[in-house]
Amino acid sequence: MLEINNLEAGIDNKEILKGLCLKINPGEVHAIMGPNGSGKSTLSNILSGKKGYEIKGDVKFENSNLLDLEIEERAHKGIFLAFQYPLEIPGVNTNNFLKTSLNAVKKAKGEKELDAIEFLKLVKEKSAQLKFDQNILSRQLNVGFSGGEKKKNEILQMSILNPKLSILDETDSGLDIDALKIVSDGVNSLRNTNNSFLIITHYQRLLNYIKPDFVHVLKDGKIIKTGNFELALELEKQGYESL
Amino acid sequence: MLKENLEFESLTYETLGNTKERKEHFFKFVESGFPSKKLEDWKFSDLKSIINKNIKELKFGFNTIENKSYNLKFIKNFEHSKIVILNGEFLSADILDIDKNKIEIKNENLIFSESLNEPLNNLNKAFASKLIKLNVLEGKIVEKPLVIYHICDLDSETNLINTRFELTLHKNSSLSTLNLFEDKSVSGFNNHNFNIVINKNSNLKNYIFDLNKNQNLRYSFTNIDIYENGNSENFIYSSGSKFSKYEINSNLKEKYSSAFINGIINLDKNNHHEIKTNINHLGENTKSYQLIKSVLNDKSTGVYQGKIFVNDQAQKTDGYQLSKALLLNENTEFNGKPELEIYADDVKCSHGSTSGNLDENSIFYLMSRGLNYDQAKKLLIDGFINDVIEKITNIEIQKYLKEVIN
Repeated sequence: MLEINNLEAGIDNKEILKGLCLKINPGEVHAIMGPNGSGKSTLSNILSGKKGYEIKGDVKFENSNLLDLEIEERAHKGIFLAFQYPLEIPGVNTNNFLKTSLNAVKKAKGEKELDAIEFLKLVKEKSAQLKFDQNILSRQLNVGFSGGEKKKNEILQMSILNPKLSILDETDSGLDIDALKIVSDGVNSLRNTNNSFLIITHYQRLLNYIKPDFVHVLKDGKIIKTGNFELALELEKQGYESL
Repeated sequence: MLKENLEFESLTYETLGNTKERKEHFFKFVESGFPSKKLEDWKFSDLKSIINKNIKELKFGFNTIENKSYNLKFIKNFEHSKIVILNGEFLSADILDIDKNKIEIKNENLIFSESLNEPLNNLNKAFASKLIKLNVLEGKIVEKPLVIYHICDLDSETNLINTRFELTLHKNSSLSTLNLFEDKSVSGFNNHNFNIVINKNSNLKNYIFDLNKNQNLRYSFTNIDIYENGNSENFIYSSGSKFSKYEINSNLKEKYSSAFINGIINLDKNNHHEIKTNINHLGENTKSYQLIKSVLNDKSTGVYQGKIFVNDQAQKTDGYQLSKALLLNENTEFNGKPELEIYADDVKCSHGSTSGNLDENSIFYLMSRGLNYDQAKKLLIDGFINDVIEKITNIEIQKYLKEVIN
């Protein structure tokens, strides 16, 4: 589904990613762990198309060259980034935004757009599946949301857009244990054999709830070690320095 | 432009009367000319040069609407009473049955007082043919909005329109009114003068929409006197005209009176709009609130000058003012001048002003959800102005504005 070969990226003449390789197949859950400044957020930004980076290398997503695509085209093809810090958008109703977003994706895929009633039905169904309270939907997008509500909103958006590859950028940051469990349960309920997840995190804690198939260690712009869930446990004990 | 040998007499229609006074006002105007940036109040909007640039020759004179009919598309979105003003003159009124006997409309001769200080008021007094007078009678609650259609449909006769309007809400009455500017002609100068009195316990909602793209230059001056427990809600959507300066003088004359002035300046091309407010807190426990947001595109210029004055009698004043501007590219300009002048010691007054660009991270967030750049931009701009629109407390009119600007 996703194949990254020798990805180099920098910003303002500073090299961040220095030849990263990663392959993700449908249905797999990959976790990337690493210390501060190792390039984790840069990787998620580049995959979702954020501007401002100098990029070399090759990223294939299904049959297209991902780096050639605009931000929204990547979303249309099924890439979703759950933000570490979801932005507050004053004056924009969450429900209206979600509908605009879903219909933009549907339109790009040549599918029929949903009308207001069909959309509400879908939102109701997804909220129930994730066990989320619907009341955040009538509020302005992320404005005044608690850390937990923002992250839940990201997961709800993910479930509605139904992406092929979901990138979770430090989704666990700022969550208490209860919120972490709710968010993780949400993600787990969306797992199936066709979609994949790339989970970016500092800590092993999140991975207790969302069990990855592979764990990669990113350090100094490269993946230096790959293993299974055991590797995460090992890192938790020994820290990144030991590698 | 202002010819010395201009013969005022030759312009005068016999029926208008007051030739002597009109002449006096006109000559006073000729002396000063249009205000330029040399004047403090006009330093961000140099009307003199704007008129020179946009109107080749301003033709001073009176308009006649005799034998003119106008095929106007009225608003269909909500039920309302109508007054139509064509080229500054009263054309027709149609008050709904439910609100008949609550509103009185008169078309009277101008009253000439001594003051000759304001150039544009002098111009207005020289050429406005009548004073359009509207009274809401004591104790009457007008149920449906009153829409005042200001139509500008000039021919070759003149490219100058002077409207003079007086609105009085007698005690314990209320009215919602929408001033809608509809312009068909090219490059004229519209000079409006509104005088509003809100008596004890009365409530006026006054909305001004300049929506449709047009080449007109516009100056509006509104004076509002508000008495005990009276409330004045104003909302200005300033967008369509080539140039506009909307000036509101609000006098909170007695205790517990309040004034709200909210507005949106939404511009493109090289259009230039200004909102200028002057709120005078003259009685105790008076309240004012102002929220002005500007969205500037292309090479446009937005200006907001807002002054809160509190005299030594006006204890317990609550004054608030906030201006936010969104500059969508580097060729736009925004000038803000907040001013507080306070002589009472027990008051709560605050003001703030910000200007900036669209937040790139917000754009990225929205685009990562599948919206293209234009959709993301539109959503952010709509969100930016949405909270001002929601200040409109007449829900029908709020809904109408949302529909027409989308």
